[in-house]
Amino acid sequence: MSARVAFLMRHSPYGTVYPAEGFRAMMGTGVFEMDIVVVFVDDGVYAALKGQKPEELDMKPLGDGFPSLADVGVKEFYVHGESLAERGLSAGDLTVDAAVVDSARLAEVLAGCSAVLPF
Amino acid sequence: MLYTVNASPTSSRSLESLLRVAAKGDPILLLEDGVHAARAGAATEKLAAAALAAHPVYALGPDLKARAIERVIEGIRVIGYDGFVELVEQHTVVPWV
Repeated sequence: MSARVAFLMRHSPYGTVYPAEGFRAMMGTGVFEMDIVVVFVDDGVYAALKGQKPEELDMKPLGDGFPSLADVGVKEFYVHGESLAERGLSAGDLTVDAAVVDSARLAEVLAGCSAVLPF
Repeated sequence: MLYTVNASPTSSRSLESLLRVAAKGDPILLLEDGVHAARAGAATEKLAAAALAAHPVYALGPDLKARAIERVIEGIRVIGYDGFVELVEQHTVVPWV
């Protein structure tokens, strides 16, 4: 049985390395054909926002990378609805089709994984 | 004093803490993840309003663009790196990290 691993994204992009490193780790883990789940919570929802233009910071737009994770088999995304709402955002503002979950459901998703990697 | 805030208001209480301490009229510059406080429509708008009531508030344009913040709260002045340098020349800088 393959392991089910959650990537828990909780930080804004660019200010820290967490989201970019999380993305790199997803790419790396994805190729091992593990069952991968990506969860955006708190400021982590900013990582998947459409329209990021970080060129002046000499960075690549992180949000645009998430759809390409499908190439390594990563296509199960969840986003915490409350985190979106308190930031004035909705699921349509994200670059990936993520299932909007409430806090209870989010806890269930994490509980269903054999490992949770925080970024 | 020019105070800079580089942490997001939803992951850190830096801005809230600064507002308790900064003297009225001292400018505040939001940069890096601190620019999330300038996002219009977010629940943290109240915090930005409190900042604007007592301080000139600036936000660094390239950091806003990177984070896809297209609508900035009214009253917050968006500046570029040139404006950043001007502010630093005019004030003693206190990074409120």
